[in-house]
Amino acid sequence: MKNYFGVKIMPREVILDTQGRAIEQTLRLNKIPVDACRVGKFIELEIEGSETDAFARATEIAKSVLHNPLIETFEVSKLLVSR
Amino acid sequence: MKKTAGKIGVVRFPGSNCDQDVYQFVAEKNYTPEYLWHLDHFDLKDYLALLLPGGFSYGDYLRSGALSARSPVMNSVREFANRGGPILGICNGFQVLAESGLLPGALVKNARLRFIDDWVNLKVENANPFWAKNWTGDKMYLPIAHGDGRYYAPADDLKKIEDGDQIWLRYVENPNGSLLNIAGVMNQKKNVAGLMPHPERAIFDWMGSVDGWSFL
Amino acid sequence: MNQENQKIELQKRLKHYRISVAEYEMIKSLLGREPKPIEWPLFSALWSEHCSYKSSRMHLKKFGKTLNASVLNAAGENAGVVDLGYDERIVFKMESHNHPSFIEPYQGAATGVGGILRDIFTMGARPIALADYLCFGEISVTPIGLQETPIGLQKSTAGSETSTTGNRMGFLVDGVVRGIGGYGNSVGVPTVTGQTNFDKSYDKNILVNAMAVGLLRPGEKVALSAAKGPGNLVVYVGAKTGKDGVHGAAMASESFDENSEAKKPNVQIGDPYFEKLLIESCLEVLKKDLVVSIQDMGAAGLTSSSFEMASKGNVGMSLKLDQVPIRDSSIQPEEILLSESQERMLLICEPKKIQVLQSEFEKWGLDAVVVGEVLQERKIELWWKGELLTSIDPYPLVENAPMYDRTFRAWTAKNKVIDKSQLQNEDISKKKYTEKLFGHVQFTSRKNIYRQYDQRVGLNTVRGADHDVAILRLPDSGRALGVAVGCRPHLMKMDARIGAQDAVYYPALQLALRGIKVVALTDCLNFGNPERPEIMSEFVASVDAITESSLKLKAPVISGNVSFYNETLGENIISTPAMGLVGLGPEDASFINGGQIPQDVFQHSGNSVYLVSSAKVFIGEISKSQFQYFGEPDLNAWTELVDAFTALTRKVEISASQMVGRGGLGWTLAQMSLGNYGYKGAFAISSNELWQETLYQAVFEVNETESKKFEIFFQNNKIEFKKIGEVQADILALNDGTSFNLKECKKSYELGLRGSIENLA
Repeated sequence: MKNYFGVKIMPREVILDTQGRAIEQTLRLNKIPVDACRVGKFIELEIEGSETDAFARATEIAKSVLHNPLIETFEVSKLLVSR
Repeated sequence: MKKTAGKIGVVRFPGSNCDQDVYQFVAEKNYTPEYLWHLDHFDLKDYLALLLPGGFSYGDYLRSGALSARSPVMNSVREFANRGGPILGICNGFQVLAESGLLPGALVKNARLRFIDDWVNLKVENANPFWAKNWTGDKMYLPIAHGDGRYYAPADDLKKIEDGDQIWLRYVENPNGSLLNIAGVMNQKKNVAGLMPHPERAIFDWMGSVDGWSFL
Repeated sequence: MNQENQKIELQKRLKHYRISVAEYEMIKSLLGREPKPIEWPLFSALWSEHCSYKSSRMHLKKFGKTLNASVLNAAGENAGVVDLGYDERIVFKMESHNHPSFIEPYQGAATGVGGILRDIFTMGARPIALADYLCFGEISVTPIGLQETPIGLQKSTAGSETSTTGNRMGFLVDGVVRGIGGYGNSVGVPTVTGQTNFDKSYDKNILVNAMAVGLLRPGEKVALSAAKGPGNLVVYVGAKTGKDGVHGAAMASESFDENSEAKKPNVQIGDPYFEKLLIESCLEVLKKDLVVSIQDMGAAGLTSSSFEMASKGNVGMSLKLDQVPIRDSSIQPEEILLSESQERMLLICEPKKIQVLQSEFEKWGLDAVVVGEVLQERKIELWWKGELLTSIDPYPLVENAPMYDRTFRAWTAKNKVIDKSQLQNEDISKKKYTEKLFGHVQFTSRKNIYRQYDQRVGLNTVRGADHDVAILRLPDSGRALGVAVGCRPHLMKMDARIGAQDAVYYPALQLALRGIKVVALTDCLNFGNPERPEIMSEFVASVDAITESSLKLKAPVISGNVSFYNETLGENIISTPAMGLVGLGPEDASFINGGQIPQDVFQHSGNSVYLVSSAKVFIGEISKSQFQYFGEPDLNAWTELVDAFTALTRKVEISASQMVGRGGLGWTLAQMSLGNYGYKGAFAISSNELWQETLYQAVFEVNETESKKFEIFFQNNKIEFKKIGEVQADILALNDGTSFNLKECKKSYELGLRGSIENLA
């Protein structure tokens, strides 16, 4: 079966999020202020196989390839439908 | 453009970094340059033309040009465009004009995903009535310096751009994967134009080319 | 607590703050008491090798005697200011960011660039050029798999054939290059020149040295850092303070294979956008005379900037640490003092000007926050939520830091042979030179690297990174300003004294070939562990060699940086004293406009090719990357050569010229044939002579009408020259009978490093 996973990658809390800061400032300048803004990435993976195996693989890929542990955290979630 | 010393506005965003270069270019051509700050609204009646310089406005965060396209000064720029005033966007300025919908298409990451600084040859596909209109040479030799310079538009739009003679400049050798080798486009009325190469960096012999001199 | 416990507690502290027992005793006698908790991090930071130069200071003093009347405001600032005449002044400096770049190459290199730019604009000078000096380990040619694999997360490849170092090295090169470009391009300062070396000794310790050049145009004032005027306000501008780099020291010792959040270093993130705002706003407030003094927050952040400003001004400062803008509410006073968050500045402002100052910064979207005031008495008061944490004299912390006379030996020549015939060069006679040479990592084009750097923003670039040395145009006088970097690791490995002399002379000669006379130097001294006498001996020999070269060339050392402990698992890097040179062209502005500057590659069929020699040191490669030499360096002769070359371009029209470097005359001729024209040798030269390096030789291409003048010039100067061949279209036939298919050579050369590191530009 086909499985779809979403990998959310965010800058670590202690790390300065330069993009988030710039967007936050711009929103403020445009008079639509928000309290905070953080920018990450979202990646969709399509993996063939049993759900448990596929999830484990998605997690492994996210852990070792997609994110940089020095500056980012990640979260894998199952997607019901892709795209 | 007519050689009457008039004012040309140079739109300045935080993170613009070719603003001073473009300002100098305008002055060298004996026009009067004036900075227009991103937060300001302007009565644009006095200006002959507007230039949007290159750089990394708002850090190019979110998408290149995306945050700048929504800054207050762009309302005045839009108004100026609607009145038929000539506007030129260079590099990041082109990205801002595309993001704000004043020019068709979008500029996305270079095909090889890396910033490219190089010299390119360009062909003028359709002459622009305001910018480089007196250019008579065959190929134009200008420098490029961008990370997000790959011109993209959906197939339907591309056809419209082509049919409407809106393709201004094409790369002779495509450096970044731009569709149809597009290096510069114009709006339908042709008063708004944008290009990725930097004409202001090729205005004296010692720079390596003088082909940019004709742009103003 | 019993005594035993106290002792253990003290040991822990000393280790944590990296303070030796002797230093601890020094602290106690300076204070006349035990240090308070908040004072530990202060001493730790200000007495660190990085801030206090404790192992190198006594030797670096030698650079002081190289200063001459052209250097303004040298004492105590980031760099001396060089007066070029016509009220044009420049300031430049080079700094290392080796370790952070090895951990996180993109951010490490980016923040390295950011830091050096702040060093320059804090002096009121607009940065107009960047240069970089990079050393990487060996590159494996195996294709690179997972590009973004960070350290510690590679699959174990024990027993497998591919080396992880190779893969990781490709990742490092790519990351460092993107980082330099990502920052420099965005902030709008052109990266105009650089050098990239590859050697096994950098496998576990790469070098990332960035140099910035700033210009003060006529009428612009130099900004100083000494705090002045009791009652004046201490103003914090820029990014909020986070925990970035606080545990930076831990980076070196911890391994990253464990995923625990606490163990991860707090990587400093650079934001070129913010830096750009800081540059423009700071230069603006300086121009409007709203600032008494200014200093960037670099290493050891707020601590070093505030203590140094107060110490230099012989005044005190009261700082309310709770007023410092923070990014993370859990941050403690100690972390605020040590944070190395990027893009922050500390300013002193008169109270009556504070409102104007704040509104100027507000225009750029930056907050200028008052965090304290200048005190009459020389003491730093640190306040936290109404509590006085300490009141301490900054002077001893800044000026009385320990100074170590590390063991070293007087220099004795290494790898010197006493008879020229002993230079065996077995390798050379056996080697078969083919088109593959042009794709070899040592020799191939660096275009894939410098193509990622904006070289022309600012409209001053005459010659960018695709040339041997960079040339900028000074916007007011129209004169040429040359920028070059130097230090060739293979020579340093052979002999540290000759290598360090060459680090100055080779780029000085390269500049001279373009008609540019070196005016000042900066250094970035990358060395291994100074506690090892053999390393310290090389360090001292290098400092002496640089000092001597600087004096001979009358080009003062105006700034510098030392990076020690480039040692991983007991392996030290090749000692690498990287140099940055800035030179000035002729008075006449037509030099740039008239296109008189010689090119790097051959220009026209039929032109004569000459070899000019002032050969003093002959180098032989006895086996792979093992070099020996014969002869003695003669700085007087080399200085005469610099002067002769500089004068030559003003008198004779030279079509093209290049210094002979690694790979000898053979490679130099080959490289000069990579444009539109090739070369044909006129008479036989042995392979040995052709492919080995000699200090120094240069190749010149001269057209027929100029050759008479050229020959007379060198006759008059009593410098040896001979015509060795001529420029010809489409062939490359060297004097030892080797010939190449030029088309293949160019293909190989142009593929460049991408042949080994796939995803470079």
